[in-house]
Amino acid sequence: MKSHILLLAAAILAGPAFAQDAPKGDAAKGEKLFMADGCWQCHGVGGNGAALTGPKLSQTALPFEAFLHQLRRPAAEMAPYEAAIVPDSAAADIYAFLKSRPASPDLKDLPLLQGMGVK
Amino acid sequence: MSGNGKVDRRGFMKGAAVAGGATLATETRVRAQTAPAQPKAASPSAAQQAMENDPPGEAEKLTTEKTGSDFMVDVCQTLGLDYMAACPGSTFRSLQESFINYGKNTKPEWLTCLHEEVSIGMGHGYAKVAGKPMAAMVHGTVGMQHGAMALYNAWCDRVPVIVFTASAGPVEDRRPGVEWMHTVQDGAATVRDFVKWDDYPRSLQSFSESTVRAYQLATAQPQAPVFITADGKLQEMELSKAANAKLSIPKLNHPTQAAADANALREAAKMLVAAENPVIIADRYARTQQGVDDLVKLAELLQAPVIEARGRMNFPTTHYLSHWERSGPVVAQADLVLSLEPSDLYGQLNKMRDQLERTEGPKTKAGVKVISISTHDLLVRANYQDFQRYSPADLSITADGEASMPYLIEAVRQEIGDRKAAFEARGQKLLAAWKGLADRARAEAAMSWDLTPISTARIYAELYNQVKDMDWALLQDGGFQSNWPHRLWPIEKHHQFMGGSGGGGVGYQPVAALGGALAHRDAGGRTPISVCGDGEFNMAPHTLWTAAHHKIPYLTVVHNNRAYHQEVMHVQHMANRHNRGVENAIIGTTLRAPFVDYAKVAQGYGAVGIGPINDPKDLGPAIAKGLDAMKSGQPVLIDVVSQPR
Repeated sequence: MKSHILLLAAAILAGPAFAQDAPKGDAAKGEKLFMADGCWQCHGVGGNGAALTGPKLSQTALPFEAFLHQLRRPAAEMAPYEAAIVPDSAAADIYAFLKSRPASPDLKDLPLLQGMGVK
Repeated sequence: MSGNGKVDRRGFMKGAAVAGGATLATETRVRAQTAPAQPKAASPSAAQQAMENDPPGEAEKLTTEKTGSDFMVDVCQTLGLDYMAACPGSTFRSLQESFINYGKNTKPEWLTCLHEEVSIGMGHGYAKVAGKPMAAMVHGTVGMQHGAMALYNAWCDRVPVIVFTASAGPVEDRRPGVEWMHTVQDGAATVRDFVKWDDYPRSLQSFSESTVRAYQLATAQPQAPVFITADGKLQEMELSKAANAKLSIPKLNHPTQAAADANALREAAKMLVAAENPVIIADRYARTQQGVDDLVKLAELLQAPVIEARGRMNFPTTHYLSHWERSGPVVAQADLVLSLEPSDLYGQLNKMRDQLERTEGPKTKAGVKVISISTHDLLVRANYQDFQRYSPADLSITADGEASMPYLIEAVRQEIGDRKAAFEARGQKLLAAWKGLADRARAEAAMSWDLTPISTARIYAELYNQVKDMDWALLQDGGFQSNWPHRLWPIEKHHQFMGGSGGGGVGYQPVAALGGALAHRDAGGRTPISVCGDGEFNMAPHTLWTAAHHKIPYLTVVHNNRAYHQEVMHVQHMANRHNRGVENAIIGTTLRAPFVDYAKVAQGYGAVGIGPINDPKDLGPAIAKGLDAMKSGQPVLIDVVSQPR
């Protein structure tokens, strides 16, 4: 049983392997689609997420297949995007855009934010 | 009309004059046949004009020193009402004059509002901060209809507002025309479903007793608005010394609030002590700082996590037992839920998925025990469905949560026995889980730090940086800004947060903020802040005029996402569900082409307007400038072009 769990964990951690199988998207096109398809309304411009409406997608760790599945068959209350509306190729473009997003600023460079939060 | 079919101006005017003359002649004839009936109001007849212009007879008395409305002011002044907010209306003209002259415009002071929604809605915000109601006066029929939504929000939020309307007197005393339009047989019929009590007193003594009763009922738990109609004839009738001497004003009762019975609390204490993973959910629980302090005592005694449902400020965000951000897993793992004054117990325990086929399920595990302490069932009406879905509880205690808390604490103390060590161990685990919450919030706030449009996290971080050494108070719920206040700000005092709208009626935020700011001004030394959605603000931008006129300083930050954003998401959801794409979801939901310049709007109403702020780097200086302007007693608005949430 323990070995099975380890194998599953290894499979989950093997994100890049999934990504290699994903269609190669165009990040520039993906950015436009991210806005045009209304993704930003819930996930924010840049896909940085909003606590109550949509999680962070920028630099997503989801494999493309999982990303696509969430798009087609959302787990929670997200609006479903079927292939007629966002074809697989467009989904790949959006995925490429999200993967290409720059890293968030480092907290240590944001002194104003360091002082915040409950202690 | 000319021969070519076009209207000839000269001919048209001639025809109109002939028609007018004919109408006048006909009207005169009809009146003569049916005298003494009054003519229709359209055009005054020659006879009417003569009546208006004729001097009164020598014997006719035209002035008086004392009227019924003066006595009505006496009644209101005994209640200690500080403010009466109103948009003017002729049905209460005598009352208004009595308040500002006979009553010397003090206690209550007359506040000028530009819409009845403001008059009532500012009372909603005021009461939550001041801990006592203020009054509003709305014009008969039309003013009442304007104010109805604000009244509904206050009702849903269980907040007291003393609302007066007025009506012209009996048939024989009504002038033809508009007085009939503004008169209603049953003034409260439109709003009766969402006020706690109403009356249309038919005598001054009745007005006195009804108004005192209304105040007492409004402030007894569960609190809610009340509605009194001031009859026009009673207002304007001459009040002789002899008649005035016969009138009396009853002393206001201050009844104790209903605490839970001892047996029920003992049973609740046993269940709480026996539970392995109890959780406390507090919604409209705390009315005072004492209520907050008592809840801290209970949580620490049990070492139980508290989920802040944000109906009021119930529990400090800085306390290690504050676990609202983990409400999903905490509720899922709980074997006992103690819910304090829930507005929606079913929703606290269950979820429903909003897809084509709606599916529901519990948030809790099987076998969870539920205790509720609430006044909810003491004030339920049939028509409006704000009572929410029925939810069973293992122990449903109908009582005031805050009044019951000291007795529950004592009951728990008596039951703890040898459970203290287990509680301490539970507390250590909760402390460890809590420590990670702040790190997560800061990391998530950093993600969108430099983005344009400006992130809501950045707004709250920049704001806090400027006010952290002040006695700040938030006037908004923060839900539309991703709950950043509760994630990042140390909300520890009861007055620092006042909950949300209650009924979800758009327009609550600017009007309640005005009232909350008024109460904070009177408390002295506070810095009230309202982060207000642009859609919300557009419902009552003129609140800023009232604030400027009455010198009520507060900072409004317009969270300008240029949309009714909740509705954008709803329409997008439907467009996707219907497989039509989201391209047109902006139709009817967004505020673009043209953009609204909120700073100019604010300036137009006499407030300080700053913005629009587009660059995150400009935000800090703009806030500093705004806070500086507030020091001179001015309301300030900063327009921040922002991320959707």
